[in-house]
Amino acid sequence: MQTKRSLHDNCAWSALLEDHSSFRSARKRLMATYILHRLIQTIVLLFLLSIILFALVNLASGGPLSAYGGRRIRPERVELLKRQFGLDQPLPIQYIYWLAGNDWIQVDTNGDGIKDEYGTRKGILRGDFGFSYRTREPVLQEIGLRLPNTITLMSITMLTALVIAIPIGIYSAIKQYSIFDLFATTFSFAGQAVPEFWLGLLLILIFYAWLKNPWTGEPLLPPGGMSSLDSVAPWRHSLSDRLSHLVLPVLTGALGWIAWYSRFLRSSLLEILPLNYLKSARARGLSERRVIFRHVLSNAMIPIVTLIALDLPYIFTGAVLIETIFAWPGMGRLYYQAAVERDYPLLMAVLIIGAAFIILCNLIADVLYAYLDPRVRYE
Amino acid sequence: MVADTGYDALVMELVMLGMTDIDPNGNVFVELATELPNLDNEGVVLNDDGTMSVTWKMRNDVQWQDDKPVTADDVLFTWNAISNPDTGSWIPGSDYINSVEKIDQYSFVVNYNTIYPGYLTQFGGEQVVIWPAHYCDIEQGFVSWDCGRAPLSNGPYVLSEWVEGDHMTFTKNETFYLADKPEIDKVIVQIIPEDTVRKTMMLQGDADIDMWINVNTARDLEGSDVAKVSLSPSDRWVMRLFMNQAAKGTTDPAATPHPILSDVSVRQAIRMAVDVDTINTEIFYGLATPTWTEFFRPPYQCEIPRPAFNPEASKVMLEEAGWKDTDADGVRECSGCTTGAPEGYKMEMEFITYAEFGEPLELTQQLIAEMLGNIGIEMNITVVEGSVLWDLAENGGIEQSGNFDIDLWDDGYAGVDPTDYVWETYSQEAIQPGGGWNIVRWDNPVVDMFIDESYTLDEGVRKETFCAIGEFINEEVPIIHLFTVPNADAYSARIEGVQSSVNDLVTWNITDWKIK
Repeated sequence: MQTKRSLHDNCAWSALLEDHSSFRSARKRLMATYILHRLIQTIVLLFLLSIILFALVNLASGGPLSAYGGRRIRPERVELLKRQFGLDQPLPIQYIYWLAGNDWIQVDTNGDGIKDEYGTRKGILRGDFGFSYRTREPVLQEIGLRLPNTITLMSITMLTALVIAIPIGIYSAIKQYSIFDLFATTFSFAGQAVPEFWLGLLLILIFYAWLKNPWTGEPLLPPGGMSSLDSVAPWRHSLSDRLSHLVLPVLTGALGWIAWYSRFLRSSLLEILPLNYLKSARARGLSERRVIFRHVLSNAMIPIVTLIALDLPYIFTGAVLIETIFAWPGMGRLYYQAAVERDYPLLMAVLIIGAAFIILCNLIADVLYAYLDPRVRYE
Repeated sequence: MVADTGYDALVMELVMLGMTDIDPNGNVFVELATELPNLDNEGVVLNDDGTMSVTWKMRNDVQWQDDKPVTADDVLFTWNAISNPDTGSWIPGSDYINSVEKIDQYSFVVNYNTIYPGYLTQFGGEQVVIWPAHYCDIEQGFVSWDCGRAPLSNGPYVLSEWVEGDHMTFTKNETFYLADKPEIDKVIVQIIPEDTVRKTMMLQGDADIDMWINVNTARDLEGSDVAKVSLSPSDRWVMRLFMNQAAKGTTDPAATPHPILSDVSVRQAIRMAVDVDTINTEIFYGLATPTWTEFFRPPYQCEIPRPAFNPEASKVMLEEAGWKDTDADGVRECSGCTTGAPEGYKMEMEFITYAEFGEPLELTQQLIAEMLGNIGIEMNITVVEGSVLWDLAENGGIEQSGNFDIDLWDDGYAGVDPTDYVWETYSQEAIQPGGGWNIVRWDNPVVDMFIDESYTLDEGVRKETFCAIGEFINEEVPIIHLFTVPNADAYSARIEGVQSSVNDLVTWNITDWKIK
């Protein structure tokens, strides 16, 4: 039998639940609208960005013809290459062709000044990023060859960094000023200060040149590449071979992230640990482990998740130094080569795709932040 | 092992053959040709109208890897693909060709519209190979056809795998025309961008060849039992100072002479103030060779006396030229100079080099600036990317637009024929932006006359002409030639027969390599 009080409570609860439910659905609607707005903004932003990047890339000193032709390029060859690369058109026309293609307009294909044939380019709006000046291969094909390598390397690097950084951050915060904390703090500063190229070369020296496998006498770890070459190792492409090639680049890349994430998590936890709601949780008899994992971490992780989301683009854009030192054929090296050789189509594709990833990951970060922290409002 | 650039040339070198190639000493040797055409064997005919025809005879025992013969049809196909105005490319001397005609299955004739001394490497050397007519798709065009990435071999190796940015695997071509060659069954080219890592791998014995090593690596490998260094017997790249004779930012030396460098005495004084031997010892560990003329290597070696290093005489020469340090600040000013510079004009110039060469060149630049500082010339150092230094004038290329005082970089002619190189470096026609590479804007009508005379097949006349041009360069110093750095490649001690070359990749004789 329900008492008057319980009836009243039930009514209050159902009203509260109804409020909460309508609040949640309103919040969902707001979120959907917010994401839609951000996506529209993203398209506009990418369009404006493409104009700026195209202008910057093309107007920067040095051009593809000098890089392509070496130190001396004969005028005859200049004319030919300009026509083949589409550089004989004014910059705004080049941009329009890059964006929307030229298969809808007649162009001069043989340099006689007469527009004789329809162009062959479809433009990036129809998925045609053009051909690399250097290899003459489709740009997307070049990127397609490198992107999986970078995703493999960088995602494992990030995962490794998180797996190591989170326990370090938690333990450092709980045991503030302990020997472990001091050690972790020192490591963190060192990790952020050590240049990647120096660390990478040092690791190669230690694990490749100095330390040997006691059974085979071979170097403990390979110095670079994604897998062993078949004349050296017939077991090439095996999982262990692949993993052995990942160890040094992952260690080099992860160190900075470990330092950064652990430091950030420690600070975040130290802000939360003295709060009253934790005292009440402990007063209710919850174990310290439960307090930390249930009540502290869930709140402390909010800024970390945002940070990770903002770092996600690295998984796609790669790391130039690490890929160079460890001969990893990824996006970072591709980008660097394209920039040095002024390979405009390749450079533009890497920049635009990279920018799209960054914008997308920012959006994910914002949405995640709002999702994890109900105090954040969508406006 | 190779770095991140230039490795695609290995495909042409290991997989494809040309009509001829060039050895490290500059001698042209036959590949697909049976003999080198010349006037004596009537392979070359000079016509009365000043044109010439060259008849090539081909080996009849060379096959593509699919067992089809390599014939004159393939040469004509290659020429047609290269010379296509839409999808072709540009190769040296291609402007001089009127037509290429097939005579029979294994011979063809090249008709030139002038006398072209470089004809021997027209379809060979480091730039041209013969492509299979039955395999490559002409519709795709020479520059972008698929057979460039998956070539059909007629050379010693077959490209069996190409993992972009990682490695290439070459396996022995079983149909190669030389019996029992190559002796090495498989060659794997690994792309390792970082010099230090490549050097470490050589020292660990994990690699057999490191192509194009720098002087630091060459020095570090000295005395190693595992890795050796091969230096090219002749050099090609001459490090040089380009001295602009037109005012910075202009291209007409007569209308706008350079306020300092248009005086030949100043240029000679600068040459006397640069201590090449010290640069060699301190920066290049003695691996460089002092070089003071354009014509220092076979077949055109000229007896030009080495200029003296004498900073005191240099100072006297500058004083006499009207450049004196009137305010005692260590930098000379115009005080009666004859270049048209106003009185009091400071002897201060921008000194540019390019970044890609690396630390040794930047140190060289600093040392030269210090040496010139010692005689009262202030040099403001700038380091730029090569693509900025050498770009077209319309894109703001520094040299083409004349926007420099003194530049420092290494240059030289490919192969064994300097004719075109000399024309585009020193002729009056090559002064204007886009016309050539007379970036120092040196205008000497007598030299132009000699350059015209060098377009002959008479070797005696050619040598005389080049040496006469060499004398003029020595006298008027439009460019100061400093030293050459040999091409260097590292190889493992277990490989025999490796010989570095400036005329080709180190793999030019890979069919003769052996593993001990």
